[in-house]
Amino acid sequence: MSASQSFVARTGSLFHRYANPGRFLRLGTRLQPWLTWPALFFTLAGLGWGLFYAPADWQQGDSVRIMYVHVPAAILASSGYAALAVCGLLSLVWRHPLADLAAVEIGPVGACITALCLATGSLWGKPMWGTWWVWDARLTSVLVLFFLYLGHIALIRAFDDPQRGYRAAAILALAGAVDLPIIKFSVQWWNTLHQPDSITLTGAPTMSSSMLWPLGLSMLGISLGFAAIVVARLRAAVMESRVRSLLSSTRRRGENA
Amino acid sequence: MTHLPYILASYGLFAGLAGILAIGAALRLKAARTKLATLENSALRRSGAPTSQ
Amino acid sequence: MTRKTRRLWLVIACVACLGAAAALMLKAFSSDIVFFVTPSQVVSKPPPADRTVRLGGMVVAGSVKREKNGETPIARFEVTDGQAAVTVRYEGILPDLFREGQSVVAVGTMRPDGFSASEVLAKHDETYMPKEVAEALKKSGKWDPRFGPPPSAESWNTMTVQDAKKNAPAAPATPP
Repeated sequence: MSASQSFVARTGSLFHRYANPGRFLRLGTRLQPWLTWPALFFTLAGLGWGLFYAPADWQQGDSVRIMYVHVPAAILASSGYAALAVCGLLSLVWRHPLADLAAVEIGPVGACITALCLATGSLWGKPMWGTWWVWDARLTSVLVLFFLYLGHIALIRAFDDPQRGYRAAAILALAGAVDLPIIKFSVQWWNTLHQPDSITLTGAPTMSSSMLWPLGLSMLGISLGFAAIVVARLRAAVMESRVRSLLSSTRRRGENA
Repeated sequence: MTHLPYILASYGLFAGLAGILAIGAALRLKAARTKLATLENSALRRSGAPTSQ
Repeated sequence: MTRKTRRLWLVIACVACLGAAAALMLKAFSSDIVFFVTPSQVVSKPPPADRTVRLGGMVVAGSVKREKNGETPIARFEVTDGQAAVTVRYEGILPDLFREGQSVVAVGTMRPDGFSASEVLAKHDETYMPKEVAEALKKSGKWDPRFGPPPSAESWNTMTVQDAKKNAPAAPATPP
């Protein structure tokens, strides 16, 4: 027990070093250009390569180019929710103030990218499968993820006392994380209309390297872009909270005078 | 058969969404920065003011 | 610090319980979550004629017969999972990806004379291969898309379009 205690204490102090908003602001300001510009470069390179130079697929033809948007969006939709769950854990166990602010900012960006994943999937499914939507396990579990995001966005803003909203949203984020392995393994556990993953940890990718490169680039670029937008929003949120505390302290001083 | 409208719609959706999120974040950051700067300036002036009175 | 440790264990316990509950529920509903049934399942236990089922499998090579009833095209084909085959009748325009050897999902009902589909969806696999590489593999006799999935990905996933174009003219010279 003492070992786990010191572990909890040590990780706690590590997290709290970055809980200091001033320190985060300095770190974020330094980090921002290293996220924004590479994100723009790699996204344009990957999507341009995918749209204009990558080969057409033998059975799907040019429609396969939707993959270069759809797959990064799908992976980031899950990763974003995993990040929300980590924020939830930090918030519930360590009462980490920055984790709460991060959860507020990650939610809308994650919901947008999940909506993009669903929309591009629909646009891919219509010409290839012959339908916009089916209720198979993969599609349904991603739709559930989208509603989890919406619930999180609403819950974290639902209370007058923000602390109560943070707690409730953290619980939802952790409970909803159960959906992530269901999304990942749905194509293996049940037969679905959605095809299984082409890129796995265990085997060679069942994808030509001439398509894998542009996919990797756009994956990298869009992930960096997600991080850049979240960091920018989080910096703005930290500044806004400082503005609020300054305003309330001057108001208090005005009342005292 | 190229299914061009579906491909263009996908890329267009991505571009629109990325643009809205990026511009929104940039504007919010700028507004917060200017507001914080003016408040800190006035706070500095006020904290300097009582000694001169 | 003990409060934090206690909260950590509490959260871990709650997530574990929730995960177990979700796993049990998914296991119980597993047969309802599957999107389609296979031909061998339909043959061994035919569903009642009024129940809509989704039948999934591969289109048997050489089994597709197309006719026309006035304006509407009618297609008849066999769907197999390797163990059993079911004849499917479909009135309407088939999806672009439909071909022999393609995986499809037919939505419809089981009749005494076969499966009557109201909708046919094409299911593509997770293989992404440039057209030229597929042509080269077909010409060299390594793969016929009508009879099964492509060969192991290691053998072609670094093959470029240029390689494929270079190799393709030489392929017919070698006897299959």
